[in-house]
Amino acid sequence: MSISLRGVSKQFGEFAAVTDVDLDVPSGALLALLGPSGCGKTTLLRLIAGLDSPDRGQVLLDGHDATAWPIAKRKVGFVFQHYALFRHMTVFENVAFGLRIKARRERPSSAAITQKVGALLELVQLSATADRFPSQLSGGQRQRVALARALAVDPELLLLDEPFGALDAQVRHELRRWLRRLHDELHVTSIFVTHDQQEAIEVADHIVVLRGGRVEQVGAPGDVYDAPASDFVHRFLGQVNEVAVTRRDGRAYLGPMDITEAMSRRSIGSAAAIALIRPHEIEIGHSQEGWPATVLAVRAIGPIVRLDLAAEARPAPVLLEAEMSRERFAAAALQVGDSVTLQIRQWQVYADPT
Amino acid sequence: MNAALREPPRGGTGNIWLTLAALSFLGLFLAVPLIVVFSEALSKGAGAYLAAITNPLALAAVRLTLLVAAVSVPLNCIFGIAAAWAIAKFEFRGKSALLTLIDLPFAVSPVIAGLVFILLFGNNGWFGGFLMRHDVRIVFAVPGIILATIFVTFPFVARELIPVMQAQGKDDEETALSLGATGWQTFWRVTLPNVRWGLLYGVLLCNARAMGEFGAVSVVSGHIRGLTNTMPLHVEILYNEYNIAAAFAVASLLALLALLTLAAKSYLEWRQPELRRAPTQARSHGRTLRERS
Repeated sequence: MSISLRGVSKQFGEFAAVTDVDLDVPSGALLALLGPSGCGKTTLLRLIAGLDSPDRGQVLLDGHDATAWPIAKRKVGFVFQHYALFRHMTVFENVAFGLRIKARRERPSSAAITQKVGALLELVQLSATADRFPSQLSGGQRQRVALARALAVDPELLLLDEPFGALDAQVRHELRRWLRRLHDELHVTSIFVTHDQQEAIEVADHIVVLRGGRVEQVGAPGDVYDAPASDFVHRFLGQVNEVAVTRRDGRAYLGPMDITEAMSRRSIGSAAAIALIRPHEIEIGHSQEGWPATVLAVRAIGPIVRLDLAAEARPAPVLLEAEMSRERFAAAALQVGDSVTLQIRQWQVYADPT
Repeated sequence: MNAALREPPRGGTGNIWLTLAALSFLGLFLAVPLIVVFSEALSKGAGAYLAAITNPLALAAVRLTLLVAAVSVPLNCIFGIAAAWAIAKFEFRGKSALLTLIDLPFAVSPVIAGLVFILLFGNNGWFGGFLMRHDVRIVFAVPGIILATIFVTFPFVARELIPVMQAQGKDDEETALSLGATGWQTFWRVTLPNVRWGLLYGVLLCNARAMGEFGAVSVVSGHIRGLTNTMPLHVEILYNEYNIAAAFAVASLLALLALLTLAAKSYLEWRQPELRRAPTQARSHGRTLRERS
């Protein structure tokens, strides 16, 4: 099912949760609504589901204006952050719920229900727990029951609110990959809400970054990561170093580097500006060229080595964090206190937001 | 819930003294009167006890009390569920006004509640003339007693259910709706089973109060023996006639009801630990504000 939002706004009292959102989700997509808490992502999900109705704007499902449709008519499966399993029913009955409540002429036979629920429990790898109650399951299992229950009514759209938010790191990682595989198998248009950029990048094939109830950027994970539309998106998707752009004689500099041209490409003019640099875009070497710096600290745990650097600047040195692979770190033979030179491979300038 | 967190810290002689003080207070004000009721009831022997409670007037009082409870408890149950459902699951204007109204019977003296019904439905009351013309008796008759009882026991079910429902939030209901359930299906299959223990608890308290209510019923009843005398009123009449043993015999039935209620209440609390939390505490856990991100 394809989804289009046209100028959708929603207010709770004085608080504008979602403002003028336009969005197109192609059929079969797996899309992440990404943003910090309070950015309106859950509200947007509920507006698409029909759990809330927008104050202004339209929700189109497969091109039909569904703004006034009740949730039942929208054919959506909604999975709540805390799963909302019916605690007085077994796992089997939870999954069967959507089938058992159908009107008599649409209701499958008891045998068909048993078969379908069995197949769904197999899909979510929970066949062995059919007779247990939700309180006897782990967080990851509950999540999968909630998903199976939503899938039982053959939704054309799957909506997941912070699907991995309440799980511990290990389970979360496994479940992410599992959800990605499941989507590749079922091809149900799916939208999930997350505040975890890593999760969005790993799982989704489209990312919508939200900020203060507005869409900040839409795109494929790689595009959003490599070409952030704003300093907000740049900061939100991964680590960044922030360096103030300095000016001398009408020209702009990032450290010793003349970046006047890039500044005018961004049409920032003479306003205060910052450059954002991801830690892995800082190359550390011993050449004559580059930005002189001192190694302050080294944290060599796992495959990535992180270094704290103090780059020369006036009035005070700039603190930077850099990342490199363990192999490169070993080859460069860096130690705390070393004087080094830095090459900035990639950076972006933005007008200073403060 | 973690059992270790729930238990108060142990140790120290202070605890022993506090416990002793609480126990002796309870003993003095609750256990001793209870013992007195039963010993006085049986003071003239088991034969006199049986005679007192099988006396036709006593039986009539028992029947009336049961009838009043049988009508008022289900009505308050329906009202309580409806009010709690509305308050816990929806946002609407006048919500706090409704909450205040529900608490009104707790705030008003039962005698005043009874008087209100006299002023409304008595011969000289607002609707008195109308009722007389149509030959309907409310005050000094069974309908008045039922009305007064409903008024007094109004808050019990609703007050018990509101915190439970608020703590559970709306996610379950919204899930059911998203799976295609109708409003009724959602209520019967999801909401009601989720609050069944809280509901039973509320019904129990409501029933105990309905059977034991004295003040409001006393005002509207008219004390017509065999017709408008409930058990508490019958106890008073017997006592005023210096028929002490008989009075305590009937009173012992009410005391027995209280003990049964307490036993059932403990059983429910054991079944459903959530009920053990004080309503105010449960309310603060409840997600009354919309959680949105």
